[in-house]
Amino acid sequence: MIEVNELTKVFRKPIRGEGLSGMAKTLLSRKYEEIRAVDGISFAVPDGEIVGYIGANGAGKSTTIKMMCGILTPTSGSVLVDGLEPYRKRRQVAQNIGVVFGQKTQLWWDIPLVESFKVLKEIYQISENDYAERMGFLGEVLDITRFLSQPVRTLSLGERMRADLAASMLHNPRILFLDEPTIGLDVLVKEKIRLAIHELNKTYGTTVVLTTHDMTDIEDLCSRIILLEKGSILYDGPLKSLKNRFGNLKTLTLTVPAETQAETAPVLSPDVAVSEDDGRLVLRFDADKVPLEQVIQYAFRDLRALDMKIAEISIGDVVKTILEQQEAEHAEKV
Amino acid sequence: MLKKYKPFLRAGAMDTMTFRFNIMIWAVITVFQVACLVFLWLAVYRSSAGGMTSEIHGFTFREMIAYVVLTTVFNYVTFNNDTLWFMNMDIRKGTIGNYLIKPISYRGKFAATSFGSLLTMTALFGLPFYTAALVTLRCLGFLPNLSFPAFFAHLGLFLLAGLCASLLNDVIAYIFGVLCFYTTSTWGLNSLKETLISFLSGTLLPLAFFPAGLRDVLSWMPFAGMSQNPVLILMMKYDLAQSLRCVALSAAWIVALELLAKLLFARAIRKVTVQGG
Repeated sequence: MIEVNELTKVFRKPIRGEGLSGMAKTLLSRKYEEIRAVDGISFAVPDGEIVGYIGANGAGKSTTIKMMCGILTPTSGSVLVDGLEPYRKRRQVAQNIGVVFGQKTQLWWDIPLVESFKVLKEIYQISENDYAERMGFLGEVLDITRFLSQPVRTLSLGERMRADLAASMLHNPRILFLDEPTIGLDVLVKEKIRLAIHELNKTYGTTVVLTTHDMTDIEDLCSRIILLEKGSILYDGPLKSLKNRFGNLKTLTLTVPAETQAETAPVLSPDVAVSEDDGRLVLRFDADKVPLEQVIQYAFRDLRALDMKIAEISIGDVVKTILEQQEAEHAEKV
Repeated sequence: MLKKYKPFLRAGAMDTMTFRFNIMIWAVITVFQVACLVFLWLAVYRSSAGGMTSEIHGFTFREMIAYVVLTTVFNYVTFNNDTLWFMNMDIRKGTIGNYLIKPISYRGKFAATSFGSLLTMTALFGLPFYTAALVTLRCLGFLPNLSFPAFFAHLGLFLLAGLCASLLNDVIAYIFGVLCFYTTSTWGLNSLKETLISFLSGTLLPLAFFPAGLRDVLSWMPFAGMSQNPVLILMMKYDLAQSLRCVALSAAWIVALELLAKLLFARAIRKVTVQGG
């Protein structure tokens, strides 16, 4: 159980002058600029849930994660992980959480992978039985057995990330914080990692907080999403409702004869947006306002479609739209 | 609880073992260094009023040479940690986060590593070199006080004092390491630390040579316990009571400095950002 209450983190960044004279001035007097990386957010994650924590770069995701695992101390507000504040009871909390920062490995670079695991076994005081059991489970779901004896520096990114993931799960943490665990990986490895997270959640009831820029990760794993922008929560709720935020949006992509063109095509309703993409017609509409059946009829009868593809709006599109709206609003204010 | 730190102790011990080549280079350089110091002291004693037989601030010429040789060996065995450099790297690259998310103390990790490396250094390097130095110096009559079996009590206290010296050095390095949160000029920090320690610990010159006022202050500071006192315990220049007092003072300083380190680290970590990502 994670409870986050009015959590705020303000960083002070020195404003440096440009060029030589600017540098000299900085030496004498320093001015600071305050950056509110996380700005009064609140949410709770119950046990066993997988939450997608998403947002643009610099939205404050990693900062929140770092506060939740005790690396950073909040400027104000609080985090409670199973009732304990991680930045006060760091070591106690650390025993029950696992963390992966996709950008950085926490394995020892020069020693064989299995030695890293043995070190972790001692640090977390894992019993012989538990260790064997976990290694069996992780070896299977993450497929790491093959390169256990290799030094970490010789592993490929995909292997290293799987190893990092295994390392974070070795002590059977109740909560797992994964900060971009699929960054830079190929489709197959991503798939493997998603499966492992899913399997872990199912088998051990582990709570997972996951940040990612890959919306497939979100759609495959998360039942709930927290969308962060400029340090504030824009959306917190089920994946489904986020998808339907702009209505039941659908996209119809039509293969049409050459004479049918977007500008000259007959109009069905102002609620159906028609555009052209690479010789095809693309219809975007809200199926709750204009029935799908009607649009399909229109496509075949009025636009003389030869073939069509129906797609639901992707979660990526929704997030993109929300962020774009935010940016536009922000630009207006300035 | 301490079991958690076993891997770090082992890592310290093993890392030290891989630097055999360094030891060889050190041995060569040191022979020249000690030779220079011998000639320096030779000149000092020759030009003093009483000549070669004079005693300067409680040291005869022979004792001074024994002191120079033993301090050199002692410093090499005892001060071999990379705490400051590792902290600098952890803080600058943000890898400190890797330790903060584990149920261990960041300070404890370094203390364990240093202790491991002290063990290896004492066994692999200290044992032969101390023995060789002591036997040679005794045979040449440079260590007149050395007499058995009282020596064994001193040897025991010396080892204890050496452990204290190593821990003191490590905690001081750690305190300087915390400053890496605020500055990136680690090289400067390290030079400052090294100079301070080698001057105030009596490595450069026994503290007896310092002006009285400064000497009194320094006798209460932790630095003498890092080099001068352990060596004087080994040379049996201190009696048992004085030796015990020295060890007790060092132990008290370790506790005090560890508390200070804890305080400074807690402050730094609250104020400063872990960088990137």
